[in-house]
Amino acid sequence: MIWEVFRQEKTGGYHTHCGNVHAPDREMAKQFAAIQHGRRKPTNSLWVVPREEVGEIDSEDVVFGGATDRSYRWATAYNTTGEDAREVVESEDEQATAERQRGDD
Amino acid sequence: MDLNTVKERAGPREFSPADDLPREYREAATRMIEFHANSEIMGAYLERPFIRQAPSIDRKLAFSAKVQDEIGHGQLLYRAAESLGVKTREEMLDDLANGDGKFLNCFHYPLKSWVEIPMISFFVDGAAMRRQATLRRTSWEPYAHAMDKVCFEEGFHVKHGEDILKELMTGSRAEQQRTQEAFEEWWPRIIQFFGPTDDKSTHHDFAASVGLKQQSNDELRDAFLDQYIPKARKHGLEIPDEPRIRERDDGTYAVEEGDLDWDEFFTIAKNDYEPGLGQINGRKQAQEAVQWVRETIEDDATTAGGHAPQAAD
Repeated sequence: MIWEVFRQEKTGGYHTHCGNVHAPDREMAKQFAAIQHGRRKPTNSLWVVPREEVGEIDSEDVVFGGATDRSYRWATAYNTTGEDAREVVESEDEQATAERQRGDD
Repeated sequence: MDLNTVKERAGPREFSPADDLPREYREAATRMIEFHANSEIMGAYLERPFIRQAPSIDRKLAFSAKVQDEIGHGQLLYRAAESLGVKTREEMLDDLANGDGKFLNCFHYPLKSWVEIPMISFFVDGAAMRRQATLRRTSWEPYAHAMDKVCFEEGFHVKHGEDILKELMTGSRAEQQRTQEAFEEWWPRIIQFFGPTDDKSTHHDFAASVGLKQQSNDELRDAFLDQYIPKARKHGLEIPDEPRIRERDDGTYAVEEGDLDWDEFFTIAKNDYEPGLGQINGRKQAQEAVQWVRETIEDDATTAGGHAPQAAD
């Protein structure tokens, strides 16, 4: 049985997928995950999830956001005057990064 | 975990559903997050009619995207709230429809015309974002994670709101005048967004001691004024004489609390404010009107086995 493994680096962080383990049951899956994925990299917590319990939808099935021009939805589309609040600037930066990572140029 | 341990450990993103937390913590966090979730929904309901009234196709597109975002924020927050195990999502939604759910003061006032839109979309959203940015460090991890996504999206709302304000304040004289009037009407309510002063706040001390709240009402309000008074002036808005606002020696601002109408604020807080009942009842009617949609979706999910939906975009 295959178990997908998600690792959280520190308290409060996100559990992100880091690999999988082959194990007969949940207890063994946790132990294998701890050894294989929690031994070297900084780890605060691990989740193990049976692979067949994972639902997937991919770009073969649907067109995800970003295929049509929706620039009106981005903070970067609007010019403002004066100094913006720092949390607004931060949000705009995060959006600009996400836009770049989309690679829809 | 007992309350003293919670207070000792309280730090950003410290507690998750895996922790065994005392009832006091879970109830305080539920009250705070449920209020936040309700406010997202009620804000969206207030703004929704203006998708139709938006003056151009660009505004219509952007404004409908924004309203859609706000409903999404409500959904994220109900998830963060229900993970505390005090109230279910159904109970929270029912309470909101019944008129028992509490939400932000600003969303109790009727919104009558397009010139009022920047009062919500720029000033109230700007105030909300100031507060939300600090909540990325709240101690309830699911709440902090919800804030990550909310803050990511919210920058667009604030900048779009400011763009509308700029357009109105560089428009005809009549438009500028009506925008100034709307600003005068909304300004005290916007300042009250941050709630009563620290010494009158009922819940602040506990929420701060367990790390749920990161900054006091006064700190947030002052920080908002420092940022948004110069912005308002830049767009040619005149700050009303009341409430009196004092400029400190270091150029920061503080408001004279006694000039604000706290009777009205606390009437609103109890959902008893007469002009605001339209908002609450509107939500109830909408909930009933789309009952058939929820039923159809639930029936479809159980009978048809589902098929690939259009990706949420």
